[in-house]
Amino acid sequence: MSKIDENKIEHKLKVLSQIEPSSEATGRAIQRARDTLINKKSRQSASTRIWRTVFKSPIAKLTAAAVLLIAVGYTIGRLSAPEPLDVEELKAALESSLKASLEPAIRQDLIVQLNEQWQLAFAAGCAQLKEELQRQVRRDLTEFAAQTLAASGTLTNQRLMELIQLIEAARWRERQQVAAALEQIEQEKIRLRSGLLAVAARTNELLDTKQ
Amino acid sequence: MRDRQKELLELLDKSGADLYALLTRLTLREDVAEELMQELFIKLSNSRRFDKAGNRQAYTRRAAINLAFDWRRRQKRKPLRLDQVREPASNDSSPLGKLVQTEELDEILNAIGRLNRSSREAFVMRYIQEEPYDYIAKQLDKTAHQVRALCSRALNRLRDVLGHDQRLSFEKEKHNVKN
Repeated sequence: MSKIDENKIEHKLKVLSQIEPSSEATGRAIQRARDTLINKKSRQSASTRIWRTVFKSPIAKLTAAAVLLIAVGYTIGRLSAPEPLDVEELKAALESSLKASLEPAIRQDLIVQLNEQWQLAFAAGCAQLKEELQRQVRRDLTEFAAQTLAASGTLTNQRLMELIQLIEAARWRERQQVAAALEQIEQEKIRLRSGLLAVAARTNELLDTKQ
Repeated sequence: MRDRQKELLELLDKSGADLYALLTRLTLREDVAEELMQELFIKLSNSRRFDKAGNRQAYTRRAAINLAFDWRRRQKRKPLRLDQVREPASNDSSPLGKLVQTEELDEILNAIGRLNRSSREAFVMRYIQEEPYDYIAKQLDKTAHQVRALCSRALNRLRDVLGHDQRLSFEKEKHNVKN
């Protein structure tokens, strides 16, 4: 491979090293990973708690004791029996007795645990919803405040523009009036001049007649 | 278990941004990097080896690099659907430039994916993350000299792989023109 291609590889590696994800995407990815970790943690602790309650509950202890007793009884019976037992029959009897003793207890236990789980999930959901709502309200209020400020700024600017226009119009009117007054003075001056000229001519005439 | 979760959360705060940047550079897609980041932390939370690892940060980075290259390998096998085509992470603004650049970068990354794991890790840290040799050596529990040798060998291998790929595509093109 030529030197140019080597340079190209190095250039491409440089380009790769300069790729930066946006800060928004980074934040989103970190939050997503954090949420996953936290949810996993709560799920794991809930399942551990369930198992702990199952093993701690008196019903479970009783059922375990019953199973143990039946097994011991079966073993003793088998050992002391003069002739071999019907295994199938025993199996069926054991199964039905176990089912009868265990099923309601397990069902009850399961209901209690499911209820607990539901309550936990509901409480967590409520808290999350509340927090989300608060965040939304805060965001809306901030947005509203920003919009109000912007609107009031625009209104102030508009009012100022109107005031400037009014002042300009008043000044223009004043200027017009001054111009009209100056013109009138000019016309009066011309009239006075022609009047004075007429008086001078008249005086000359009178003087000539007297001489 | 709880300690591990706590430790992972701390790791996420400390190195999350760097890991995400690394995944973005290796996949060239922010959405995929986000998915892989989540997958990485799920894997770490289930991993017993993470607890045993002496350097957790190095272990995490290695796992991230492996995940990214596994994804690249899967992508090569899968035919590309139209809805999978997203805008790649690139600094060039023109669409054609972006396309060409992404293809070239993909080619380089696929070639890096063909390196062996230890060379690949050293190479990625040196040339994509631009870490100094001493730091890489510390992270990989090797000497700086060994890391230099690894990177140099990896670069040579990369040249060979890319050269071979180019020759192959050229011959294919020639064959197509003839027929």
